[in-house]
Formats: sequence, C-alpha cells, structure tokens
Amino acid sequence: MLELRHLTKSYANGRRVLNDVSYSLAAGEFVAVMGDSGVGKSTLLNLIAGLDAPDAGAIMVDGVDIAALDDNAATRLRRARMGFVFQAFHVLPHLNLQQNVALPLLLNGADLSRAGSMLEAVGLGGRGADFPHQLSGGELQRVAIARALVHRPALVLADEPTGNLDPDTAQQILRVLRDELRSTGASAIMVTHSHAAAATADRVLILSQTGLHAA
Amino acid sequence: MRIVWLLCWLWASGAFAAAPVLTQVVPGQRLNFPADFGAHPDYRTEWWYATGWLTTPDNKPLGFQVTFFRVTTASDSANTSHFAPRQLIIAHAALSDPALGHLQHDQKSARAGFGLAYANVGNTDVKLDRWTLKRGADGVYQTRIRGREFSFDLRLTPSQPPMLQGDHGYSRKGPEPGQASYYYSEPQLRVSGTVTRNGKPVTVSGSAWLDHEWSTRYMDARAVGWDWVGANLADGGALMAFQMRRADGSPLWAHASLRDAHGKTTEFDGAAVQFKPRRYWRSPRTGARYPVAMELRTGSLVWRLMPLQDDQELDSRLSTGAVYWEGATTLTRDGQPAGRGYLELTGYAGAMKL
Amino acid sequence: MGWGKLNRWLVWGEWRAYPLRALTAVLAIALGVALGFAIDLINSAAYNEFSAAARSLAGQADLEVRGTQPTFDERVYPMLATRAGVAQASPMLELEASVPGQTSALKIIGVDVLRAASMTPDLVGVAAADKPFDTLADDAIFLSPAAMAWLNTRVGQQIQLRAGSRVVSLRVAGGLVRARTGQRLGVMDIGAAQWRFNRVGQLSRVALKLTEGVNLLAFKQALANDLQGRLQVLQSADETSRSASLSRAYRVNLNVLALVALFTGAFLVFSTQALSVIRRRSQFALLRVMGVTRAQLLRQVALEGGLLGALGAALGIAGGYALAATALRFFGADLGGGYFPGVQPTLQFAPISAGVFFALGLAVALLGSAVPAWEAARAPAAQALKSGSEETALNRLATPWPALGLMAIGGVLTLAPPIGNLPIPGYIAVALLLIGGIALMPRLVGLVFQALQGVPTRRPLVMLVLSRLANAPGQAAIALGGVLASFSLMVAMAIMVASFRVSVDDWLAQVLPADVYIRSAASGNTAALALAEQAQIAGTPGIARVDFLRLSQLNLDPARPAVALIARNVDVSTAERVLPLVQAVAVPADRVPIWVSEAMVDLYGFTPGKTVRLPLVGQWRAVVVAGVWRDYARQFGAIQMRLGDYRRLTGDTAVNDAGLWLHAGTTPAQAIARLKALPFGAALEYAEPGEIRAVSLKIFDRSFAVTYLLEAVAIVIGLFGVAATFSAQILARAKAFGMLRHIGVTRRQVLAILAAEGGLLTLMGMAVGFVLGWVISLILVFVVNPQSFHWRMQLHVPWGLLATVAAALLLAAVLTALIAGRSALSGSVVRAVKEDW
Repeated sequence: MLELRHLTKSYANGRRVLNDVSYSLAAGEFVAVMGDSGVGKSTLLNLIAGLDAPDAGAIMVDGVDIAALDDNAATRLRRARMGFVFQAFHVLPHLNLQQNVALPLLLNGADLSRAGSMLEAVGLGGRGADFPHQLSGGELQRVAIARALVHRPALVLADEPTGNLDPDTAQQILRVLRDELRSTGASAIMVTHSHAAAATADRVLILSQTGLHAA
Repeated sequence: MRIVWLLCWLWASGAFAAAPVLTQVVPGQRLNFPADFGAHPDYRTEWWYATGWLTTPDNKPLGFQVTFFRVTTASDSANTSHFAPRQLIIAHAALSDPALGHLQHDQKSARAGFGLAYANVGNTDVKLDRWTLKRGADGVYQTRIRGREFSFDLRLTPSQPPMLQGDHGYSRKGPEPGQASYYYSEPQLRVSGTVTRNGKPVTVSGSAWLDHEWSTRYMDARAVGWDWVGANLADGGALMAFQMRRADGSPLWAHASLRDAHGKTTEFDGAAVQFKPRRYWRSPRTGARYPVAMELRTGSLVWRLMPLQDDQELDSRLSTGAVYWEGATTLTRDGQPAGRGYLELTGYAGAMKL
Repeated sequence: MGWGKLNRWLVWGEWRAYPLRALTAVLAIALGVALGFAIDLINSAAYNEFSAAARSLAGQADLEVRGTQPTFDERVYPMLATRAGVAQASPMLELEASVPGQTSALKIIGVDVLRAASMTPDLVGVAAADKPFDTLADDAIFLSPAAMAWLNTRVGQQIQLRAGSRVVSLRVAGGLVRARTGQRLGVMDIGAAQWRFNRVGQLSRVALKLTEGVNLLAFKQALANDLQGRLQVLQSADETSRSASLSRAYRVNLNVLALVALFTGAFLVFSTQALSVIRRRSQFALLRVMGVTRAQLLRQVALEGGLLGALGAALGIAGGYALAATALRFFGADLGGGYFPGVQPTLQFAPISAGVFFALGLAVALLGSAVPAWEAARAPAAQALKSGSEETALNRLATPWPALGLMAIGGVLTLAPPIGNLPIPGYIAVALLLIGGIALMPRLVGLVFQALQGVPTRRPLVMLVLSRLANAPGQAAIALGGVLASFSLMVAMAIMVASFRVSVDDWLAQVLPADVYIRSAASGNTAALALAEQAQIAGTPGIARVDFLRLSQLNLDPARPAVALIARNVDVSTAERVLPLVQAVAVPADRVPIWVSEAMVDLYGFTPGKTVRLPLVGQWRAVVVAGVWRDYARQFGAIQMRLGDYRRLTGDTAVNDAGLWLHAGTTPAQAIARLKALPFGAALEYAEPGEIRAVSLKIFDRSFAVTYLLEAVAIVIGLFGVAATFSAQILARAKAFGMLRHIGVTRRQVLAILAAEGGLLTLMGMAVGFVLGWVISLILVFVVNPQSFHWRMQLHVPWGLLATVAAALLLAAVLTALIAGRSALSGSVVRAVKEDW
C-alpha cells in the first residue's frame, strides 16, 4: 500500500534527519513510530503526505511516487487517499461538528451523509450541530478521527494524537482510532512518544539515525 | 385684396411706447406713377401680389403666386438701433401643380434693414434675403424666389397700362370711408422664365396678374374674411371682384371691375356683385370647408369659377398663422372658356390666430 | 459540487464569527464608492444640464460667429448673412443685466425673433394671445420660469434692470416655455436690447445655418481665415468643450478626493483580510493538508474579499445615489464651488458610471485581498500548522525595495508635465508615495522599536510593549495602514488648504489698498459709469484719489473660457504697488505694456518681455508683457492694461469699478454718504476692503467645504481600520494576556500595555504620516495646484489644526485599544474564544 524507498532528508540548516529510511506498509496495517525528539518523525509524516519533498528516495502510494508529483497532483492524492489526526486537534472553530467531519467528503465531492454516522461511530452522535468550543479535548480528537476516516482513506497519518490528552482519555481515543481503522480497513502510521499508545498498534517501529527498524 | 389678416393685429398692438403717425387713405387723390409703383412706408400695410398661369414645355398648366408684404410697425421712433423693427417684410410663394395634388409653398419674414430686407420707394423694389421683386425702368418685373422645394426666376412684361381699381385707385373695403386702400392692378402680364423643382430647371411661359395695394385702415371689424378673384380674360379683358363677408357668410361689402380689351372699365357695386358657392372642398389638414367652385355675377354677367385643383390651401399656422385658399382658377361664361385667374378665399379656417 | 458548499461554509462561518469586522470592511468600501459615485453623479448632472442649456441657446445653428470681446460691430451681420453657403443668419446680443439688489446677473439674449424662430426656437418668447407682436416690442421681455421666480415677478409686471448708471424698466410680456429648469434667462427684441442697454451697433454673436450640401468644416475654415481671428467661428461642440473646461479641474479634484476615500477603504479591506488570513493560518494549513489545492485556497480568500467588495460596492451605489440627491437638493450642483451658476440639474441614474464605480469598489476589495490570499496559498502547510508562525507570514512585507522603488517613481513623476491640462502625473505620484510609505511601515516600525528596545529599562511592562512592537512589526504595521493613509492625506490637504488660504488672505490685502471700493453693480455687464459720472465721483469732497477700473472679457481661444481684461491706472515704474507682481521686465516707453496673471503664462505662453497681439474692437493690437502677477480670482487668466491705453485702443470710456483714497480726516462712512447723494449714487455698491476680504474668504471656505467633508470621511474610515485591526490583534493575543494574568500582571497593567501599544503605534503612524503628508502637500501645492488652477502659493503649515487632529486621533486609537482590551479580558482569562470586538 505504502512503500518508502531509501528516504533521505536534511533540514535547511544542513542537519540530516532521515537517513536511508525504507519500509513497506501492508494494507490494513497499523504501525506506531517512536523515536527521540528531533529524529524526524514529523518530517517523515510530512514527506508521506506530500507536504514536503525528500532529498532522495521515493514514497510509493498505491504505486505512485508522491514525492515526484507536483503540488496539485500531490494535493489531490492526499485529498482522496489520506486522513490526518494531529496533536493539536485542528478543528475549524467556525464550523459545527457535522460540517467539520464532512469537510473531506465535500473536498472529494462525495455524499455528505456518512458524516453523521461517522460522528456516531466516534461517540458523538447527535452533537453534529455543536461548535468546537463546546467540546473537551478528547471530544475534539474524536471529531478529528471521524474527519480522518470519513472519506474511507487508504492511509491515516496520526501525529501524536494523544499528546494533549490525559491518559484515560488517551486510551479511549486510541481505542476509537483502532476500532475505526479496523472497520474501514485503512492502514495507519502513528507517531508517538507514548509506549502505551504505541502498544495499541499492530507493530512498533523505532526511527533513528540509522533508519526505521522494528522495536 | 389679399391676405392682410395677420397684419391687422398690429392695430391692437400697444407694444410700442411712441408709435409713428401714419397717413390715412382718402378719396380723390390721384395715383402718381412711377413713384406709386414703389413702397409707401407712411401707410401701415402694403403688398405686391403676383399670380398667374404658366405652361411647361410638356404643355402642362402650373399656377404660381408671389407675394411681398410690407408692414410699418408702431416701433418707437426714438429707438436708434438699426435693428428697431420699423418695417417688416413678409413674403409668400407657391406653385400649384395638379400633378402633385396640392400646393407647394414657402414663406419668409424679416425686419427691414442691413440691406437684407427692404421695400424701396420710387419703383417696385422689394427684397427679403434672396427673394426679390423688382420693376425695371422699362416696366418689366423680375422676381426671384428660392424656396425649400422649388425656386423660380420669372419676368413679367406688361402688355396693358395699369388698371386703377375703385375710384381712380381709391378702393373702398367697407361701409366706413376710412376702410379703403389705394389699389391698382397690372393684368395681362406676359410671363417667361424658369421654374426649378428637384434641382431641374424648366422653361415656362404664361400670363400673370399683379396687384399693388397700400392702406392704413383696411377691414371692418365685422368682416371675418373675403372672397377675391382676379382674372385675365381670353379676349384681352381683365376682371377683378371681391366681397367682404360677415360671420354668417352674408356680404358686408362687395365690388367688381371689368376692363375690356379696349380699356373701357365697368364698375359694379354692392348687390350687383354676387358670389355663389357651387361646390365645397374640405381640407383634410385643417378641416376648413372652402367654396372652391363659385358662380360670380357682375351685373348681368355670370361667370363660373373652376379650380385648377381642389387642394390649393396654404397652411402657414406655424409661422404667420394664416390658413387660406389661394388657387389657380379657370373662368367660363355661358359654358365657354372665358379666362384664367386666381381665386382667394380667406376666413374659412375658423378663428385665425398668430 | 461540494467545493461551492465548502466556500459558503467557510465564508459564512467567518462572517458569523466576526460580523462587525466584515461589516466595517463592507462599510468602508461602501463609503468610498458612495462618495465617488455621488460626486460623479452630481458633476455629470450639473455638466449635462450646463451643456443642455448651452445647446438650447445654440439651437439648430451649424456655426456661431463670436467676437473676442463681449460684443462686436453689427456690420459683420449682413456680411455673414449674404455670404455664399449661408442659408440663415441669426444675430444675437447677449447681456448680463445687472439686477438692482441682486448679487448675480440676469442673462438676457436680444434676438431677431423672425430670424431666431427657425434656428433657435427655444429663444422665442410666448406672447399673450392678444399681443402677438410683443416679441418685437421694445419695452417687453420674456422670462424663463426660473428667472420669474428669482425676480419674483409674473407676466404683466415690470422688472427693473441696470443700464449704465440708470435703471431700465421692462414689461414681462410672457414666458420662455422651452427654458430648462433652473435656467435664468430673459429674451427680448434685439433692437430693443441694443437701445435700452446702450449697445446700439453691437452684437454678441451671429448664429449661422448653412445651405444644404455645404461642407461645414471647409466653410468654417474659410470663414475663420477671412475673419483673421478678429472674430471667432465656433461649432456647438466647441461651446460644450468650453463649458466643460470651465469646471474640469474642479471636477477632477473632487473625483480624486472621492477616490482617496475609496483608497483608504482598500487599506481597510487589506488589513481586515490580512489579519483574518494570519489568524486563520493554521486553518488554511489544515485545509491544505486535507487536500485543498493552492488555487482553491487563493480563490477562497479572494472570494471572501470579493464578496465584501461586491456588497460594499452595491451598498455604495445605492448610497451614492441617495447622497447625490440630498447634496443636489441642499447644496446645489456645484457643491459650493460656484462653477455652475443658475443651473438646476435633475439627477439621473448613470448605469455606466455605476458600473465603473461598482467595479472600482470590487477591484479595490480584490486588490486588498490579493496579498493576503497569495500569502495564505503559499504558506508551507506543515509549518503553518504550528502556532507562532504568524509573523513570518509578514516577513515578505518587510522588504523595503519595492516600496522605495514606488516612492522613487513618484518623485520622478512630480517633474512630469500635466496630461490634457490635468495634473495626472501629480496625482499618480501622490498615490505611489502613499503606497510606498505604507509598504515601508513594517520595516520602519521594526527599526524604530528595535532601537528603542536597546534602551535599558527595568520596568517589565515597558519591556513587554517594546519587545512586542519590535518583534512583530508586520502586524503592527498593518494596523497602521489605514491611519497612515488617512492621516497623511489629511495632513497634505490641511497644509494645501492652509497654504492657499493664507496666500489668498495676503493677496487680498495686497490687491485692496484703497480705503473704499465702489462698483457700478454687484454683477452683470450692463451697469457702468460714464465719463461725466466718473468726474463727479472724483470731484466729491474728501476723496483724494480715484483708481477707476474697467473690467471686460476677451476671448483669445475659442476652446477656452474667456480671460478677464482689466483696465486701470498702472504706473509702469511702480506697477508692483497696485499689482501683486511675481515677475517684471522693462518695456520700451513707446510700447503698450500689459501685465498678465500666471494662468496667462501657462495657458497662452504670455511670458514676460514677449510681444503679443490682442484682438480689440476687431483689430489686432501689439502689446508687450511687462510683468506677471498673481491672481487667485480668475483661473482662466486675466490681463491688466493701463486705462489710458485701453481707452485709446477701444474707444470705451466707461468704467465698472473704482478704488477711492480718502483725505485724512474723511472717514469711509462720510465718503460713502456723500457719494450716495450723487444723482446715480444710490444705485452703486459700496464696500470697504475689510468687507470684501471677509466675503472673499467666506466664499473660499465654502468652496473647500466639500474637501473638508471628504477628508473627514477618509479619517473616519482610517479610524475604523485602527479599531478593527487593534481589536483583532488584542483578541488574538487573549491567550498571551491570560498567561500574563496567571503570572501576576494585574488587569489594569494589561490594559496599560494595550493602551501603550496602541498609542505608540498610532504615534509612530502619525509621525510617518506627517512626513508623508508634508511631502504630498508639497506635490499638491507646487505641482497639482499650478497645473490645475494655474496659480502658485506659499507653503503654510497649520500646526494648530494638525496638532488637534493628531491628538484626537491618538486619543481615539488609545480608547479603541482599551475598549477592545476590556472586552478581550472580560471573559474567561484562559480561553477567550469569542474573539470578535
């Protein structure tokens, strides 16, 4: 589904963060990526999303090298095939929950009805008309998860999804994420510092100067 | 005779502060030629009025009319401006072509002055911009008209001495002695010249009649209009007849003169002159009804008047305000052609206003 | 398609969250568009009415022959009437009849009704049914409805008009039914007009109708050649362009002022949109991550700006129409400028003009959104998702070179000559300087506050304020865009108007040296004083010296308004005593000297020392320009010559005005009383220099009233901008203030920080605004004004006024900051979610 081939990336200041990273992600596989701060976990996610370009190597998404696409093509690929969950939730404050979840459907020109069932699936059924400022952090992240999966993406990228949450809430959120990944059949890469979080994944990988390896 | 209607308004006009004193028409005064061919600025109104029948090269009849009016206004004599409107010159011209079915006519008016418009004394010499009527020392009249739809240059040559109307040129127009004019006619004028229409000049010849009349007080207040006819008779004679009409159509004053080919003149007064309408024509433009065919009795003589065409109405309401019928007319006597002339019918178009 | 729905969601969500901010931007655009559209409507209404009135006077005529002076010899008339190719000639005498007790004159046209009827039917009076020859009467006048209303008279009554030092009484014989609404006009017989108003032998113009088929231009050319410039041949188009040029500079200036309001509105849209984009940076980044393309994002931001613009422009068009209607009703067509006397235009909705102003409003809004939209689309999404990156978004604005480049181009443009007699390059220079100045603000703010930051302080609040201003100069500068634009323009206008007013005041003192002034009438050209009357005035006890003055008009160029010809006693060696000379040269004693106003130099090239020819009474007369004087009264030019020369060249011995010097011991009141006792004395107008000065300055102030109004509007819009941007920033920083409160900063101290920031920023904006405004005022005073109105002035800075406005603006800014701060701090300290102000 996703194949990383010999990825290399340096920051603008010359510091090398990714060094010959290769990995092949199977369909429906849920992996957690751990590693020290500054080792390039977020950069890896940005590269996979096509938001940043590697210095060398290829990122094959469904057989297409996203790193070789222009911005518009990469954007379209991202829009259709990927979903995102962030540490800081990033829910649009002036749209209600229903609208927030429906965003990817809108962007892909799909039927909006799935937004309601998706909200229900993450435990926020009946709250579609609420606005983000009426929600707690855990609830906001549930919205984000619903949004990440509503358009049935092949791949979900999650960047520290529980970093802003208390441990209990974090566990709930991870359960929801995992359940929803299973039910939609999406693959997922989750960057995290938390071993508890990583434990919910199918596999745990460690990112270091020498590449991406199984823990 | 002729269309003095609009000029009568000047009687009532109190618009001027110090009006000049005008000479009155009195009986017993002899006309003095050639000076009386010229203008008489001491009298209120004056006109030269030429009408006639022309024949085109393709032998078609064509009526023509040229009129120059002169009016002395009541303008303040203290006004030193050259533009002071002491005298007004007004001119009408018309062609009557039966092929067209109606008159073609044009008119101009201006204050006398700057050599652009004048009526000179001494001999007939009237001008209004490019329109002129001038009598030469040899007695021949030249007239030039430049209208919008037509223009003509005609030469009118007398074949007879002037015909003094009324009492040696003193012509009564109403029951009161002052209602009179000095009036002579030049009948049986031989005409030659060119008429130009649509840019095409055509040589014409024919015969014409010229009236010259001046007056200070003319019409009785009871008169609403008049019928007038002047005709060159086929035998070389000349006939002039008019009647002033009251509102009910009855004659207020009438007179006629008949001069035979030998120069013998017979005058007819009052009941001896009778106009009898025989056929009316209603104008589609103004709605006025004109007796275009008449029976005229002068003493024992009975004349039938038949128009060259019915529609010879002149509608000048937009400028001088007069609506009248002025048309080429044939005369018959006892069923035989007797002559050709012009008939004038005024006061039929209701109240005439300026 | 879902994208349209997303557009709507985002726009609607944003506006629902910040309705006031959106409304302010809409209102700013609406105000600018409304002002521009209203002024354009009023101008074109007045202009259309003016040219319609001129056309109605010209009637069906093909050509018009006119003198170089108000009248010419009537002998030209028969020559023209009989010229080949002329079908009709209609002579006219035009008078500006002085009306006793009125400050404006009645235009009377003397016509030959028999000639005019077919050519200028509008000039034929309607006589009473029983007096049809009144159109020829020498005691009758026909008045337009407006003239009847103005003179409070009706048909059958008499009106009094001045002729020389006497009064002529005319009978109102009827009306002029085809006169235009508001057109004050009288028509009478030409002979009567010549006679009653002492113009026997004189005409003002002759209208010509040509024979069909005659080539108009060839005929005009041939006739003009034959007349050799002693008379002028005009087409009706010339007349229209003449009336247009009469007020063009004034109209353009008003339109530019209206555009200033729109310009300020553009800055407001820019700051609204820019801050909104910065605030939503992470949101836009999220959308990008989720698959919104750059182009889509660009469109989204442009759409928001465009919608604001469209709404504002639509409101502005409606408001402009209402404004124009109101202004026409209460202030008249010239808005106090005095360019369209006796004209009462009707307002007509102008679809093309409405379209232009709508497009302008929309364009300005789109332009205001362009930079923020571009920035939003370009931002690297992954980076923008992190907070604290807002200031980097504005880094691009800190590059000084484009701004400096614009200002340099502006500087060069001030040297350019006018285009089509209008100071277009000057106006563009002003715009470039403004844009450049505003674009330079972030850089300047950063530099200044970084320097201030270097000043060691132990007071934490001061440190907080300075560090914020020094390190986030971009956002601060955006807030200042509106203030800077409106304040610098205000400064520029204030300096320009003050310079003008002071110069006019000085000038008045210089041109009014006598003790008492008398005039034959307050207006018009029919009143005058003959030689005998002049002698009586000069011989009145107590009068030491009299300076008689003959004022008339001279047409030098058919396409331009007439210049004033002033004949008076001028001593060549001491001309500067009676004339405000700016330049003088020696002239040989055997030549006729004239002194020309600055406009004559600009418009006709009458430079000092040059020998020029003047058409006087049908003759070309050679005269020498002996000097140039300053004239603030006549923008189309004025020529002064010696009364003796004038009388010798024209034979005209009458005078209009006189300045009187009194013997010591005679008071002005005494002198006036004695003059009033003269047989013609009661009809004269008397004034002391002080009164004339006061009246002149009043007229001056009135004509600038609209200018002040437009300026005030621009400032209000600028303040809106300040309020909007300060509030937005303060509320966006609610979290930071919450943190400060947590670590022990009191609420009052937070407010003090806000007030200090607002005050310092405004002060900074005003300082730059003043410099910018001062430079712009130099352009206005030394480039735009001489090119528009052909007069020059000294620079004068109204410190008091500027200080007052600056203080008010500062206070307003601080108050705005405080109010916004209070509402930001009123809710939960930790989370101020409701960010609107």
